[in-house]
Amino acid sequence: MEVEILKQENSVTAKLIGRLDTIASPEVAKALEPLKEVADKKIILDCSQMEYISSSGLRIFLSLRKEATIKRGTIVVKDINEDIRKVFMITGFLNLFEIA
Amino acid sequence: MKNGVLDRLKRWRPKTTFLLVLVAVISLEATALVQYFFSNDGIRKEAFLRAEGQLDATTAKIMDIVNQVEAAVRNTEWIASWAVENPDSLGAVSLRLVKDNPVIVGSTIAMVPGYYKKKALFSPYYFQEPKTKQVIFKSLATPEYDYPQQEWFKKPIELSSGYWSEPYIDEGGGEILMTTYSVPITDRSGKIAAVLTADVSLDWLTEIIEGVQVYQNSFGLLISRGGQIMVAPSETLIMKKSIMEAAESKANDEDREQFLRLNKALLSGESGTMQIVENGVKNDVYFSSMDKTGWSISVVIPDKEVYKGLRRVSWLVKLMQVLGLSMIILIIRLATKNLHRIQAINKNKERMENELHIGHEIQMSMIPKVFPPFPEREDLDLYASIVPAKEVSGDLYDFYIRDEKLFFCVGDVSGKGVPASLVMSVTRSLFRSISAHETLPDAIVSQMNNSLADMNETNMFVTFFCGVLDMPSGVLNYCNAGHNAPVFLNGKMDVLPVLPNLPLGIIKDMAYKGQEVEFKYDDSLFIYTDGLTEAENLNHEQFGEERMKAMLHPRRSAQEHLQIMQKAVEDFVGGAARSDDLTMLFIHYKNIRPHEQNWKITIHNNLKEMGLLTNFIKDIAKEKKIEESVASNINLAVEEAVSNIINYAYDKDYVGRIDIEAFKHDDSLEFVLKDSGKPFDPTARAEVDTTLKAEERKIGGLGIHLYKSIMDSVSYTRKDNMNILSLIKKI
Repeated sequence: MEVEILKQENSVTAKLIGRLDTIASPEVAKALEPLKEVADKKIILDCSQMEYISSSGLRIFLSLRKEATIKRGTIVVKDINEDIRKVFMITGFLNLFEIA
Repeated sequence: MKNGVLDRLKRWRPKTTFLLVLVAVISLEATALVQYFFSNDGIRKEAFLRAEGQLDATTAKIMDIVNQVEAAVRNTEWIASWAVENPDSLGAVSLRLVKDNPVIVGSTIAMVPGYYKKKALFSPYYFQEPKTKQVIFKSLATPEYDYPQQEWFKKPIELSSGYWSEPYIDEGGGEILMTTYSVPITDRSGKIAAVLTADVSLDWLTEIIEGVQVYQNSFGLLISRGGQIMVAPSETLIMKKSIMEAAESKANDEDREQFLRLNKALLSGESGTMQIVENGVKNDVYFSSMDKTGWSISVVIPDKEVYKGLRRVSWLVKLMQVLGLSMIILIIRLATKNLHRIQAINKNKERMENELHIGHEIQMSMIPKVFPPFPEREDLDLYASIVPAKEVSGDLYDFYIRDEKLFFCVGDVSGKGVPASLVMSVTRSLFRSISAHETLPDAIVSQMNNSLADMNETNMFVTFFCGVLDMPSGVLNYCNAGHNAPVFLNGKMDVLPVLPNLPLGIIKDMAYKGQEVEFKYDDSLFIYTDGLTEAENLNHEQFGEERMKAMLHPRRSAQEHLQIMQKAVEDFVGGAARSDDLTMLFIHYKNIRPHEQNWKITIHNNLKEMGLLTNFIKDIAKEKKIEESVASNINLAVEEAVSNIINYAYDKDYVGRIDIEAFKHDDSLEFVLKDSGKPFDPTARAEVDTTLKAEERKIGGLGIHLYKSIMDSVSYTRKDNMNILSLIKKI
């Protein structure tokens, strides 16, 4: 699992590559922790190359979302595949994030 | 009991009351009238007889005196006829007559005027002075008195026989009421020479007549030939009034008429009876005339005297009638009041019956009663029935499937009818609500017991059998709370061993112990209430366990079993009324699930070993050519379940193992995860609310929600101190 963070003028894009499963979650959580600092801005989670997400991955998404809510920023989840969309649907995450 | 009869009774009642009273009045009155008239008649007859007797006796007494006087006079007649030849001897004859006869108070021999040449009138008279009783002489030959004109002198000569004069008051002599008997005296030549008299005082008559007292206030009357009243209760009446005068004193024509009639009857010397109304008072007058004197003796009896007794009796009768009628009316009113009450009770009962009927419907709608209940399942054949002894039942059964587990129960509430059914409803609700998040029967039963014991003020209790059958594994966890042990048909016909737990609702915080048994293919369980084994026939024999077991047969379906059992009980009981509810539940376990293949892997409670799991699933998916996205979903579900076990089943420092088995069935892939960690039933966890906003959402719980959503079946059981979680995905 790899995480690439790209800072732009008014937003930060985090590209998640690979499987965000139970094993990967702790390290992804650590990598995404700095994003909470810029949670007042727009954070784009680029999922175009994310194959899989488990509940531990969802938890990372949810904690980011909570931070953004407090700091009045926005989180955009970009390009999720069908399987992940299904997971998002089952868990109600489709309603929590701006899906692009 | 039904409405129609009551309504008729209601309409009928006022009329009936009236009729009853009317009939009572008529019969009482009729009886009284008959009694009155017969008594009246009898009393009248009796009065008549009494009066007649008195009249006869009195007449006899008077006639005795009259005869005495007449005899004394007759015996003197011949002396007198001699004595007329010598005027000086006449006085001696009279004196002798007075002295010898106490009833004769005076006597004279009055000569026919001119008989003696020298004496135109001659009548020496001797009489007894009433006070001194001395006999005094007195000559009646005075011009003032002019005896030849007196009745006592004229009449005997006229009649040539003895004559009783009308009564009179003797003014010249004793001033007493008297009557005179006079006879003509002939001399030897046969010529009438004189008249011999004997004066009789009527004092003794008064005594005799006053002795005529037939009734109190009745009185006797002696009336002379001329209609004069000789003896009467009031002295003033005597001599002053004749019946004629009495008649004339009457202002009323009718009154006068009856007095005149009486007068006529008396004067003509008749005997008989007559009714006289005087001043509105009815009197019966009994009268009879006497020979010789021509007197009439009467007894006057006031009507009210005669009928005094009868009147008293009839008053008493009337009083009793009034009392009796009052009693009748009172009784009828009481009875009608009762009727009202009975009516009210019946109406209440009807309403209750109606409500019971509704209660019964509600109750029946609560328990599952569509059979077969799980038509899509080939691994289960289940049938249940409940036959209430009364309208509503104190028995219950329930069953449903959650997470591949069959939750079922059979209970019997102590008592019958409405109270039992209320407890039954509560029990059933508790079973449903508690079993929604509890999987172990002992936990379900313990919590139900606490709730029931808490509100149990009526000391009702419930014998209860609760079972949870894990369909994939065939493991039955059960807890028996004082219920009769079910029959376990596992090739043999054993009674399922049960622990002696107390029924529900008796003691709070009881620790109910659960038990476990494993179902093999084709095993069955028959659960029933004691309404089956304790059903009695007319000889008070019980159906019993032997008869019950004889009806069980492995090849029969659940429905056939219950129908045959039901019929057997009904045939056995015959005409006897079934006294208890009868509830039966039959579970036939038919899970074969032969799997084509299985895979197995064991990891430990270390997240780093999760990769092994991912590869394990990837290999199976590849081997079974499972679609990638499905495989990914399966992987997610199993990963979530396993990571939960890794994270929570064991203490951090403890190295625990997790056995993962995968089975390929006909149409599904099953993963069975076993761990020996803390007991944890993920299926009993509350659902995550996925509709909440981000800030309201909890971080945890997502994993369980995910695999429960992804898999077609998730079931948990704990066996041999292990958590066994089965996840099935249809492929």
